[in-house]
Amino acid sequence: MPTSSATAAAVEKIEVYHFHPTRQCSSCIAVGNYAEETVKTYFADEVASGKIVFAHINGELAENKELVEKYEVTGSSLWIGVYDATGFHKEENINVWYKIDDKQEYMDYLKGVLEKRLAGDFS
Amino acid sequence: MDVMGFMEAMGTSNIPLVAAFFIGLMMAISPCPLVTNITAIAYVSKKIGSGNQTLITGLVYTAGRMITYVAIASLIVFTGLTAQAIALPLQQYGDLLLGPLFLVIGILMLDVISFPTSLGGGRVATLRENLSDRGHAGSFLLGALFALSFCPFSAVLFFGMLIPLAIRAGDGIIIPAIFAFATGLPVILLSLVLVTSVGRLGSILKKIQTFELWTRRIAGVIFIVAGIYFCILLFS
Repeated sequence: MPTSSATAAAVEKIEVYHFHPTRQCSSCIAVGNYAEETVKTYFADEVASGKIVFAHINGELAENKELVEKYEVTGSSLWIGVYDATGFHKEENINVWYKIDDKQEYMDYLKGVLEKRLAGDFS
Repeated sequence: MDVMGFMEAMGTSNIPLVAAFFIGLMMAISPCPLVTNITAIAYVSKKIGSGNQTLITGLVYTAGRMITYVAIASLIVFTGLTAQAIALPLQQYGDLLLGPLFLVIGILMLDVISFPTSLGGGRVATLRENLSDRGHAGSFLLGALFALSFCPFSAVLFFGMLIPLAIRAGDGIIIPAIFAFATGLPVILLSLVLVTSVGRLGSILKKIQTFELWTRRIAGVIFIVAGIYFCILLFS
């Protein structure tokens, strides 16, 4: 098991994607907006350097077909994709759906997850 | 721990059947399936005078939901079809059907339009009878169709949470069946309440025929209102 500092260097880029259909439900909009705010608020440096990328992706548009297939998206969802020395690792985060009634809890939680991924910790 | 914290802990439990049950419960109380469940409750309650029939109708409705969820999960778990191949088309076209379907059922139940026999009036009458009087085939079909209509959030719960759980456990039958049971639980519970409370009203039961006519009318109106709700969702 590599130490976290060794893997930290190995994490090259993290994509935080909010996939959604054209017609969105209110919970789906909240999941996307809170994620965007989390990234912009707590990871401004990483966004500026390009290490973390955030985007709302309309999965119904033809131009996003490749991303939808890459992430194997099945609908409205928040995905975290990590690129490191061993390749690409994607995960759908389902816990955020339980936290949309409490924005601060949502943001604290997602901040914690992203900090772990930045450190190469996939737990 | 607050309610959502509890639902999260249970819905992400390491015990697949517990997780499946709580993901289903979450589905039952989330806005869009809640509307379909309310209409289903209205539907089962029109049999209110028939005692156990109400409960059986609620159970058959849940069995209808079960067949849909088990069929989809089995396709994915046992045939290797990707969840995406089923999830995206269902979400795109599934709820297109829901609004018009509710409107049609509501209008049929209200019995306000009489169709001339030459225009298939006989068949419409049979359909109405199946939907509102004999019940079982109708409520089974209703459950199966309602389960097919995935709103964005119910798709998250089913395709984002339940299906990965079923795939990990290699189980396309029991896990989705438990999930389906939980999604239909409010309907089952309410039909139980209806059965027991109406049972106590012995003397009123004589007047139940008029009462049933009214519950059917109310159910029809609820279907129409739900139909309008889904149509508005669709075009807003």
